[in-house]
Amino acid sequence: MTKLNRLAASLIAITFAGFMPPAQAETDKLSVVASFSIIGDFAKQVGGDRIELRTLVGPDSDAHVYEPKPADAIALARADVVLVNGLLFEGFLQRLVEASGTSATIATLTEGADILHDPNGGHYHYSGGQAIFHAAPNDPHAWQSVANAKVYVQNIARAFCEADKNGCLTYEANAATYVGELADLDVEVKQAIDAIPAERRVAVVAHNAFRYFERDYGMTFLSPQGVSTESEASAADVASLIREIREKRAAAVFAENIADARLVEQIASEAGLTLGGTLYSDALSPEDGPSPTYVDLMRHNVNTLGKAINGG
Amino acid sequence: MRRLTLGVSALALAATLGGTAAFADEDDVTAWRLFVSDHAEPVVKVIDALDGDLLDTFKIEGPATLHRTSSGETVFAVQGAAGEVHAIKSGIAFHDHGDHGDIDVDDAELLHVHIDGTKPAHFVELQGNIAQWFDGEDEVRVFSEKSILDEKLDVRKANVVAPHHGVAVPYQNHAVVTIPNPEDASKRPIGARVVDFNGNKVGEDLACPGLHGSAGSGSIYALACDTGLLLIKQDGGAPVIEHLPYASSLPEDSSSTLIGGKGLQYFIGNYGADRIVVVAPSEGENGFQLVQLPTRRVHFAVDPIRAKFAYVITEDGQLHKIDVLAGKIAASLKVTDPYSMDGHWSDPRPRIAVAGDNVIVTDPLNGKLHLINAETFQESGEIAVEGKPFNIVAVGGTGKVHEHEGEQGHDHAHAHDHGDDQIYKGYFEDAQVKDRALSDWAGDWQSVYPLLQDGTLDPVMAHKAEDGKQSADEYKAYYEVGYKTDVERMTIDGDIVTFFKDGKPLKARYASDGHEILTYEKGNRGVRFIFKKVEGDADAPEYFQFSDHKIAPGKADHYHLYWGNDRAALLKEVTNWPTYYPSSLRAKEIVEEMIAH
Repeated sequence: MTKLNRLAASLIAITFAGFMPPAQAETDKLSVVASFSIIGDFAKQVGGDRIELRTLVGPDSDAHVYEPKPADAIALARADVVLVNGLLFEGFLQRLVEASGTSATIATLTEGADILHDPNGGHYHYSGGQAIFHAAPNDPHAWQSVANAKVYVQNIARAFCEADKNGCLTYEANAATYVGELADLDVEVKQAIDAIPAERRVAVVAHNAFRYFERDYGMTFLSPQGVSTESEASAADVASLIREIREKRAAAVFAENIADARLVEQIASEAGLTLGGTLYSDALSPEDGPSPTYVDLMRHNVNTLGKAINGG
Repeated sequence: MRRLTLGVSALALAATLGGTAAFADEDDVTAWRLFVSDHAEPVVKVIDALDGDLLDTFKIEGPATLHRTSSGETVFAVQGAAGEVHAIKSGIAFHDHGDHGDIDVDDAELLHVHIDGTKPAHFVELQGNIAQWFDGEDEVRVFSEKSILDEKLDVRKANVVAPHHGVAVPYQNHAVVTIPNPEDASKRPIGARVVDFNGNKVGEDLACPGLHGSAGSGSIYALACDTGLLLIKQDGGAPVIEHLPYASSLPEDSSSTLIGGKGLQYFIGNYGADRIVVVAPSEGENGFQLVQLPTRRVHFAVDPIRAKFAYVITEDGQLHKIDVLAGKIAASLKVTDPYSMDGHWSDPRPRIAVAGDNVIVTDPLNGKLHLINAETFQESGEIAVEGKPFNIVAVGGTGKVHEHEGEQGHDHAHAHDHGDDQIYKGYFEDAQVKDRALSDWAGDWQSVYPLLQDGTLDPVMAHKAEDGKQSADEYKAYYEVGYKTDVERMTIDGDIVTFFKDGKPLKARYASDGHEILTYEKGNRGVRFIFKKVEGDADAPEYFQFSDHKIAPGKADHYHLYWGNDRAALLKEVTNWPTYYPSSLRAKEIVEEMIAH
């Protein structure tokens, strides 16, 4: 280690005095940082009370526009394990890792998952009335497939075992129990979607985060494409989506918890459809919301789809 | 003109000051430019930060304060005394592709659009919107960076009650503006409010007396005043302002100039002449850390690359590296002679910018720039600049480069999935070129010529015309020659290639016949990958040659094809380049892909 690095390391060590409230002082638990709320839930399921967890991008928040805080860098510096989605989902991560100088293991949870290449090279987010293109050659929203979620969980168990050998049996047992729950959930989602008549399984969303759901469960999701990144969805772009909605006879339009609903409201009104509710795409809800855990999230989405489509 | 400081490893210097486009690794190109104004002369100099070469000298109306936009595509020269604001196109642009960014490097250019008015002062850019404040006017002018680059300036104005030394922060349909002191507008503003561009006030005024200094960090824009910071956020509609008071633990003082973190959300303000305060807005009352400096502060800047560091130069000529997380000075280095803060506030004194690996410090009284390596914190070189180099901004970074010019310089659009395409506008080393197998082009391919003919590609032509170089019709005529072909479809399966000419298949087996590197008139180059007929239909061509902007093995996402029976003659064909995209792509998808880049 160079002199400068040593100096930097010792400086990180004293940073508690600065930004961290004393209540969060170090414990003998495994210190885990999860990049966003869904991974945070997986970490809780596997780690239980053996871990001390900090989740960076919280409930109802969009990781794509997240701006890391100095306290995040300090948390990363202290962490034993950092859990990330990968596939360019966390655009802020690399600089944060560099800023923190962390020596923690960084576990990429989509490793080994069944990943979809994105033919469009990315997808759009709608934030503050603006379309922002999120370029990613592979679709990062892999957790929308429950089969992939199982891979996330197994990757977490492996990362925890490596960092905390004494807890390994506990982590593996917790993961096995949870993977069992996920297997049931997978069946439940499939059955719920199968119960929707095949020709009605077309929904409209603003941000195409559901391609894995589409692949695994046979729903179709339409979303605006080719919207300029510099302006709101232009009239022409929306018009072509409206045509597609009519051709494919989409049943309902859905808002998303991480985005404002103005764009989908515009689409719904032009297509003569009603808003069918809110789907949870890239984040859980707060504790008192409908989707505080991943299992709740998938159930909520399936129920919302089913109700809006069958009811309408 | 560059003098190197001896004593540092010559190798390290060579690495730092490599050349205009240094290859950091095989795929990456790094370019950094410094824009430097003079304390007395009406000029802006453009200097290559990597080799110290003077690239351009732009004459303007008066000595300027420089600002860069967050995209780095534009640098603004605000000339307070001359009542003029000029815009300079930096010549460096980035395009984000998620897994990599592309970099475009062109000459810097003094744009024709300029903005004149009475006492131009604070400049704020946020997400491509710019608010230019004029101390002598009762309206702030807001315009987009795009309108400047297009040289079609479209200004919106928002009322600021009375001329005063204030600031405005631009949003989509609103601006946050300072409120002048009602008793004496020449004193500092007393707060801020949200207004729209139709003369309406939105929401309540927020008091923040003695307001001066502003900076952005991520989605938060902050204004400093006597009592704390005003934090401006936008959540959907109009911006919202909150007041964050200075922590009670801080000594009595205030900030009047701010800088904002890049990559980490924090602000740094002056706090008395010889202290700075680091503010982490997310931590509220606990988010303030005071850093004592050895002498009075002259200037400061954040490090946009190494997110946890910022730099301060003090009047004793020392540059300090601030660890923002620790709230401590991590290293100090004597860089210039002392520059006393006694005397007039606008006397020539050092300014700081960060360009890649280096922190750059202007040394106006000695006519030079000092380069300090940000990691080792040792001086790595210096660049002599005539006159009194004063204000400085740096623009640049590292990105992938592609052969945008294509064959003979047609402005070629390509798919988002660049694979390992790494050629810089057709500039590459021969050793980088590798032979490729026919399997790189395996698949079922459609000609895009019918799409050009039936008008499907009109939006692409309209998009190209936005560069102002040619009209959409002119582009269409150019592509008409380029795309023209009667082979509407091709399939490549193993070594069997089938040309569908007017619906009839011509089938033959082909084998690799190497590659040829072509040099075009502009000096850029391209590679043709050549295949020779082994056996098959007599009418199938003896040779065909692919050009797909790649120079080594990699799956093609589209290609240009030249075919015929004379290998050498084909190499001279540069105006007709029939172009093929996967047959699985719908017309709309091809249009999207062409426009996307």
